[in-house]
Amino acid sequence: MNIKRVLIYSILGFAALIYLLPLVVMVITSLKDLDEIRSGTLLSMPQALNFDSWDKAWGAACTGVSCEGLKGYFWNSVLIVVPAVIISTVIGALNGYVLTKWKFRGSTLFFGMLLIGTMIPFQVVLLPMARMLGFLGLAGTTSGLIMVHIIYGLAFTTLFFRNYYISIPSELVNAARIDGAGFWMIFHRIILPLSIPIIVVSVIWQFTQIWNDFLFGVVYSSGDSQPITVALNNLVNTSTGVKEYNVDMAAAIIAALPTLFVYIVAGKYFVKGLTAGAVKG
Amino acid sequence: MHALKIQNIEKIYGKVKVLKGIDLEIQPGQFLILVGPSGCGKSTLLNMIAGLEPVSKGNIFIGDRDVTHLDPKDRDIAMVFQSYALYPNMTVRQNIEFGLTIRKTEKSEQKKIVEKVSKLLQIEPLLDRKPKQLSGGQRQRVAMGRALARDPSIFLFDEPLSNLDAKLRVEMRGEIKELHQREGTTIVYVTHDQIEAMTLGDVIAVMKDGEIQQFGPPQDIYDNPRNQFIASFMGSPSMNFIPCQAEKVNGVIQISLESGNEKVKVPIKQNIKGLEAYADKSIILGIRPEQITQQGEDKPDSAKLNCDVELIEPTGPDTLVTVRINGVKTVCRIHPTAESKVDKLMPLLLDMSKVVFFDPDTQERVY
Ligand SMILES: Nc1ncnc2c1ncn2[C@@H]1O[C@H](COP(=O)(O)OP(=O)(O)OP(=O)(O)O)[C@@H](O)[C@H]1O
Ligand SMILES: [Mg+2]
Repeated sequence: MNIKRVLIYSILGFAALIYLLPLVVMVITSLKDLDEIRSGTLLSMPQALNFDSWDKAWGAACTGVSCEGLKGYFWNSVLIVVPAVIISTVIGALNGYVLTKWKFRGSTLFFGMLLIGTMIPFQVVLLPMARMLGFLGLAGTTSGLIMVHIIYGLAFTTLFFRNYYISIPSELVNAARIDGAGFWMIFHRIILPLSIPIIVVSVIWQFTQIWNDFLFGVVYSSGDSQPITVALNNLVNTSTGVKEYNVDMAAAIIAALPTLFVYIVAGKYFVKGLTAGAVKG
Repeated sequence: MHALKIQNIEKIYGKVKVLKGIDLEIQPGQFLILVGPSGCGKSTLLNMIAGLEPVSKGNIFIGDRDVTHLDPKDRDIAMVFQSYALYPNMTVRQNIEFGLTIRKTEKSEQKKIVEKVSKLLQIEPLLDRKPKQLSGGQRQRVAMGRALARDPSIFLFDEPLSNLDAKLRVEMRGEIKELHQREGTTIVYVTHDQIEAMTLGDVIAVMKDGEIQQFGPPQDIYDNPRNQFIASFMGSPSMNFIPCQAEKVNGVIQISLESGNEKVKVPIKQNIKGLEAYADKSIILGIRPEQITQQGEDKPDSAKLNCDVELIEPTGPDTLVTVRINGVKTVCRIHPTAESKVDKLMPLLLDMSKVVFFDPDTQERVY
C-alpha cells in the first residue's frame, strides 16, 4: 500500500465516520438511561447494555392519548406498505409493457401526462384526494391510504418499467407472437423473467417512499390506523414530564429500520437495476 | 396453386404511404427474395405477411386462405429475425420448444422434433445453453431451428445474416440454400445484399420506395434490368453507365466511345427497335464490368478501345481496372495476368452482345 492509498482510505473513512455519527449517537443514546444522558456527553458510552427504552418505545410509550408504544403503528405501516408496493409495482410493470410493446393511439401522450405526474408535489394533491376519498367512503381508512400511495406511486413505477422495457427489443415480442403467445403469456414468460433488476428498483423506491411518508399519513388516516411516521411524531411530541431522549431515539431507529434493511439486502441490485442497459438476445 | 399471394397491398403510416400497391405470387417450394435499398419497405411487407403489422389496404393469401386479418399465430408461418430474437431467459431447447408448448404439441412429439431439428442444424451440443453463451452463428442456427420446429407452410426471414461477419455469412448462406433444397420449404427472404439475392433466390422482387420495380428469376433481372436503378443495384461492382451520342449511318445505329485520344464508332448489332428514336441524340450505354476485358481472341459483336488506366484493384480471381470512357469512370474486369499500368493506355475489348441502353431522362430501359 503506498502513501496515496493510505490517504484515500483515511479520507473515505473520515467521511464515513461523519455520516455514521448521527446514527451512532442515536444508538448509544437509546441504550443509556436518563441519568446517564443527563450526566454524560453526547458521545460518552453507556455503562451497560440497557434495552429498556427500546421496550418502552415498542410497547409502552405514549403517542398522544394511548400509551401502547409503536408496535401497533409499525404493523399499520407494514399493512399499508406491502399491498401498496406490490400493487403499484405490478401495475407499473403492466403499464410499461403496454407503453413499449403494445402501443396504442395516443400512448405517447399518455406517457407524457404520466411524466407530469412524477413532478406533482404532495401538497397539490392533498385536497382533491381528500375529496375523492370522502366521495368513495374511504376517508380515514387504511385502504384509502393504500390507494393514495398506489396512485401517487404509479407515475414513478410506470416510468421505471417503461424506460427499462424500451431497451428490450420488440423483435422478442414479435417472435413470441408468431410462436403463438398472447398478451399475458408474453408478459409472463418473456418480459417478467427479464425484469428482476427493475422490479427491485421499483420495490425499493416505493418501499422507502411509502414507509417514510408522513404527509399523506397524517392527512388521510386517523387514530388507530396511522402509520409509524405519524406515531413517531406523536411520541416525540407527547410531553408528560421529562423528555425521554433514549425512548425517542429508540423509536426513531425502529421507524427507520425497515428501510435500512431493504437497502442493505437489495441495495446492490438497486444500483444494478438503475444502470442496466439493453437486454442482449 | 400458389403458396403466397399478395394483392395490391398498401401500408400507410399517418400520411406517408410506405407501400404503394404490392402484387406478387409464389409457388410452393419457391424461394422469394425481397431486395432493395434501406427504407424501401421490405421489412414492412414481411411483417405484414407475418401479421405483425396491420394491412392498410389489399389482401394476403397463404395457400387458399385469406389471412389478411388473421393473428400471426393463425397464419401458419415462422419467422427468423435479424437480431435472432432468442428468448434470453430460456435455454436453446426451451427456445425451440416454446412455440410447440403453446400449440399443445405432445411432450414426446416435442422431444422428437427438437432432436430432428437440432441434428439438422448441428446444434445438439448447445441445447442446454442460454442464448448469451452462443456465438453469432450459433444463435443464427438456433433461430432457424426454432422456425423449423414448427414446420409452417411459409418461412419468413428478415435479413438473417446481416449481423454475421463476412466469412460466416457466406457459410450460412450456403446452409440456408442447402436446407431449402433438401426440405423444399417455401421461403420469403428479405435482404439488402444483392449477392444474397442472386445466390439464394428462385425469384427476386426488387423494391424501391414502396414499389416493386421488377419481379423475376435472378439471372433475368441481372441480364435484363428494366431500368437504371435495378441495373445499378444488382451486381457488384455495379453496371457502368456511359452516356454516348447515337447516330444513324447506313440504316444502322452507332454510338461513339472515346478514351485517351481515341474515338471509335460502334455499330449496335443487337436488335433493339427502340434505339431508332435516339438517332442524333444522347443515350446511356449500360455495360457490366465483366463485359469489358483485356483483348484476346476476337468476339463477333465487340468493340476495341485503348483506354487510360486510372486505378487497378486486384481481387484475386480477376483484377478490376478503372478507366475513363466518354468522361465517366468505367470499371472493367480483366484477367489478373493481363498487363495494365496506371496512367498507361490499355487495349480493351467491349463485348457489345449483351449491353443494354437506357433513356437519359427517364432512366428506363430502351427495348
Ligand atoms: N412505425 C412506423 N411509423 C412510421 N414510419 C415507419 C414505421 N415503420 C417504418 N416506417 C417507414 O417505412 C419505411 C419502410 O421501412 P422498412 O423498415 O420496411 O424498411 P426496410 O426496407 O426494411 O429497410 P432496411 O433495409 O433498413 O431494414 C421507412 O421509410 C420507415 O421510415
Ligand atoms: Mg428492414
